[in-house]
Amino acid sequence: MFEALSKYMVPIAGKLNNNRYLSVLRDAFMLSFPLTIFGSIFVVLTNLPFLSKIMSEGAIKTFQSSFGIASSATMGIMSVFVVFGIGYYLSKSYDVEAVFGGAIALVSFLLLTPFVYQPEKGAAIAGVIPLDRLGAKGMFLGMITAFLATEIYRRVVQKNITIKMPPGVPPAVAKSFAALIPALITLTVFLLINVFVTQVFNTNLHDVIYKAIQAPLTGLGSGIIPTLIAIFFIQILWFFGLHGQIIINSVMDPIWNTLMIENLNAYTAGQPVPHIISKPFMEIYTVGMGGTGMTLAVVLTMLFFMKSKQMKQVGRLAIGPGIFNVNEPVIFGLPIVMNPVIIVPWILSPMVVTLVSYFAMSSGLVPPPTGVSVPWTVPIFINGMMATNSLAGGILQLVNIAIVFAIWFPFLKVLDRVNVKKEKDESEAAA
Amino acid sequence: MKRILLACSAGMSTSLLVTKMEQHVASINEEAKIWAVGQDQAKKEMANADVVLIGPQMSFLKGELQKEADKYGIKVDVIDMMAYGLADGKKAYEQALKLMGDK
Repeated sequence: MFEALSKYMVPIAGKLNNNRYLSVLRDAFMLSFPLTIFGSIFVVLTNLPFLSKIMSEGAIKTFQSSFGIASSATMGIMSVFVVFGIGYYLSKSYDVEAVFGGAIALVSFLLLTPFVYQPEKGAAIAGVIPLDRLGAKGMFLGMITAFLATEIYRRVVQKNITIKMPPGVPPAVAKSFAALIPALITLTVFLLINVFVTQVFNTNLHDVIYKAIQAPLTGLGSGIIPTLIAIFFIQILWFFGLHGQIIINSVMDPIWNTLMIENLNAYTAGQPVPHIISKPFMEIYTVGMGGTGMTLAVVLTMLFFMKSKQMKQVGRLAIGPGIFNVNEPVIFGLPIVMNPVIIVPWILSPMVVTLVSYFAMSSGLVPPPTGVSVPWTVPIFINGMMATNSLAGGILQLVNIAIVFAIWFPFLKVLDRVNVKKEKDESEAAA
Repeated sequence: MKRILLACSAGMSTSLLVTKMEQHVASINEEAKIWAVGQDQAKKEMANADVVLIGPQMSFLKGELQKEADKYGIKVDVIDMMAYGLADGKKAYEQALKLMGDK
């Protein structure tokens, strides 16, 4: 039965993974990854819990405000990098000059951005771009604009509507002339759109897209039920031996990343963190406990409580990578893939644990992740403390591991008994 | 010298298998260049390879990668699931040899 289902799953997974727009989106977010890690390091350092013991309040304020630029210049304006990345990678996938694609996407996005700040009270200030329009708030408009702008740009290029230079002109000069007409056409389109929206409707596309698309989608994505559904599909895909995160995250990442930046903005401003579900929650409280399916507990159980040689061997092999949340040895060695005994704990435990984490955070027992980006390969407990900036965040992971252990134990025991019997039969047959 | 390219989502989990394969190759006194990359680099790197093995979790990429590999006349296959899980260097190396037609 599983084999038959797998025949349907593999092509669908392949299509999703190879979808041009989804893989461009994935690469674009990867572009901002080192930048967000840089910003996160300084948010963690300037918010260490023991700072108040060794520094005066004024000194902490100075410390935080002088280093705060590290996160403002990276995560605070993340849309800029995502927009450029989409323009770059999408152009590259069409084999047209990529760096111009990136620049055109970025300018198209800026053309739709109001260069004015309206404070709650008083007159509007001209000549400034509110930071959050280039960060969390502008994320969805940025993505939509980048895809549209690049599509227009590459179509004009591919129709060959460009200025050609005679041979002998330096290639860099020839290239910038080749990009001239496609750039003029694309940018004029977005300029006219902005003139139309601002003059006829007296609003701007930032606010329109934010209210009509981004707020509803992120609102949905921060809910516990959609999160459980996403986890369910990730687990199912892995059960069929397919990389669940690569496939599901390419759809969910725009939402989870936006929630992350909203959290970070609130956190660095000293306000309560608004969302529980965000990118760090998904990384640290689902993958960050030994890999997908939180298998560190499974590995430890195999090492210490199981008797069959096969399970002990997988346990020994899997513990090293498992500490750094890489768990392919368990998934393919136990194996978890297509193993009917394992499907129940495999799908059940991450869903139960996610519910527990969610309620621990919504009840205020454990603070939600602050929005700093912690690489998913950082070991359990340390990553939990870093993500929430509290000891409770690490302790919650240990509780979660105990829950995973309790759910898995009976199923592993059954498998172990079968294995022991098989190994005994084999050694008797050999004797 | 045989050149074997391994690919998975980020080149992380396959790097474990690379070490085991290298140990096996050394133990039987053969020479081979074995390295692991993420899925994005696989297409570029395969120009320098004689055979490409991909992690079972990326099995849905096989068709697409094989299309690219045809340009170089090399084969792409999914690593045997158990060999991958148990990091069985010998089995994976033999699978690579078989694909290369033992040239």
